[in-house]
Amino acid sequence: MGRGLTLRSGASVLTRGIGLVIVVAACMLPLTWMLIAGFKSKSEVVRSPFQFFPDVWITDNYTSILQDSAFVQAMAVTLLGAIIFTALSITVNSMAAYAFARLDFRGKGLWWTFCIIPLFIPAFAILLTSFVVVTNLGMLNTMAVLIVPGIASAYQMFFIRQFYLSIPLALEEAAMIDGASRWQIFVRVFLPQSLGVFVVVGVTSFLGYWNAYVWPILTIQNPDLFQIQQYLGNFRMERGTEWGMLMAGSLLSVLPLILLVLIFQRYIVNGVRISGLK
Amino acid sequence: MTSPGISVDRVTRAPGVMAPVPSPITTSGRRRRSRGPDVPAHLRDHRTAYLMIAPMVVLLGIFVIWPLLYSFYLSTFEISFYQDSTFVGLQFYQYVLQSPRFWNSLWVGFKAALMIVPATLILSFLIASLIKTLGARLAGAMKTTVYIPTAISAVVASVVFVLMYQARGGLINGLLKPLGIGPFAFLSDVDLALPAIAVPAVWLALGIATLIMLAGLMDIPQSYYEAAELDGAGFFQRTWYVTLPLLRNVILFVFVTGCIAAIQLLDLPLVMTRGSGGPVDSTMTPNLYILSQFRDPRPFATSFSITAALLLFVILGTFTALIFRTVRSDKAVDG
Repeated sequence: MGRGLTLRSGASVLTRGIGLVIVVAACMLPLTWMLIAGFKSKSEVVRSPFQFFPDVWITDNYTSILQDSAFVQAMAVTLLGAIIFTALSITVNSMAAYAFARLDFRGKGLWWTFCIIPLFIPAFAILLTSFVVVTNLGMLNTMAVLIVPGIASAYQMFFIRQFYLSIPLALEEAAMIDGASRWQIFVRVFLPQSLGVFVVVGVTSFLGYWNAYVWPILTIQNPDLFQIQQYLGNFRMERGTEWGMLMAGSLLSVLPLILLVLIFQRYIVNGVRISGLK
Repeated sequence: MTSPGISVDRVTRAPGVMAPVPSPITTSGRRRRSRGPDVPAHLRDHRTAYLMIAPMVVLLGIFVIWPLLYSFYLSTFEISFYQDSTFVGLQFYQYVLQSPRFWNSLWVGFKAALMIVPATLILSFLIASLIKTLGARLAGAMKTTVYIPTAISAVVASVVFVLMYQARGGLINGLLKPLGIGPFAFLSDVDLALPAIAVPAVWLALGIATLIMLAGLMDIPQSYYEAAELDGAGFFQRTWYVTLPLLRNVILFVFVTGCIAAIQLLDLPLVMTRGSGGPVDSTMTPNLYILSQFRDPRPFATSFSITAALLLFVILGTFTALIFRTVRSDKAVDG
């Protein structure tokens, strides 16, 4: 596949090897540093002169953060919220995507415009007013305020619709001849085809929920509902010198995400191909 | 009972939006067997369609469209908890545009974009070019490696970079010391604070930019390179005359989305500076400024910050719309 060509004419094996090492190091250094700092004692973590590895590896930071019930609660609440958010988000967006891809109905153009306008509205432009709106709706300090406002996503709906448009009509014709309703076609023909695209949008939703910071700090004051980023942010503000624990907590908070990326790496990496430009 | 002979298979092409719609196989004149004998199929389809888009429409209506319209309302009224709100016209717009701190924040956002976007473009292009020369397995592993930082939250990136920036015992100063530079108090230095925030921003953005670049590179037919090589073009000539022109749309896309994201930087400066935007507003990005105004308890501040957010939206929205149009017209030419 043209490999011989690039091997011969491109950068030499040595240069490319060095390049690879630099790239991997640059990507992984902050995470590695986080991991190692979690094993350092309070005095070692900011010791001068700087030292990469600790003299004594301690696990106290990891055990004490795991014994902090607020941390565990934040992880659990965020995980639960992220799962519900992702499931609802896929459901709502894929249904609309199917309707816009395959059904013909009155006012379709108008509704399409309505659903696609949000693509051009940056989240921050309406963030503050959204806060006023959810306050008026009495949604503050509930899980709903974290989950509901972000479920419908013009971008994801558009992305799924593009995929549905590429599914050959022949597939549903057979079902149609058998007299299947549109719902049945959606569930039996389209959903089984959607795994790849759902993984791509689902991971995006999950990461978006898990990593949200500003919205939770605006809407959640109840410590029982603190989200994980909020917990870490507060930790930095209030206990800024306990670096070892903060690093241990940060590392534990990214583990589920790294796991998610590793499990679905093939889908995600190919998903960029379709979601980016093409 | 006859079902009307409409072609239910017709895929309607909705207006608007960028990408070309894949052309469907057209089957016309097919009759649909209706199971519910009383309701004609096309009416059933209408009902199904409305049911399917209803959750989407309602949610977007309440949480996107309504806040947007409400923003315009709030930006023209002075809200007070003690008396009725009064219409003040464009007064808040005037206040925002006369506020030196608003302009300063735009300048900070612009400087942030100036640091983040070129670095992201160049690095992602280089990394993508490198990955392209690898075998499938190694390339797959590299793609996942560069993608992993993308999954990390800005909060976590902030805290780990703050630790790495520490003047005492920090990794960066520790690495600079053998070179005889430093130590620097990165986040307390007016000139260094913004670049220090730009670094994690690049780190977070690099993965997705690289994957988009790589997808673009993969779309360039290998035969173009072979032809260029037959004509005696070296590596740099092939990059300049073949790769970059054909990658123009991809680069433009990364450039635009990168600029928008960089100007809107919020979580990083918020956590890294503990919300101060300091030192001396040097990391006070537009969104951080607007948020800090919003959290100001005085009622005036609410309208002020919402107005500022709207003005920023107009600036960014114009920018986005213009570029998306450019991208679309380019696609038509390229086919």
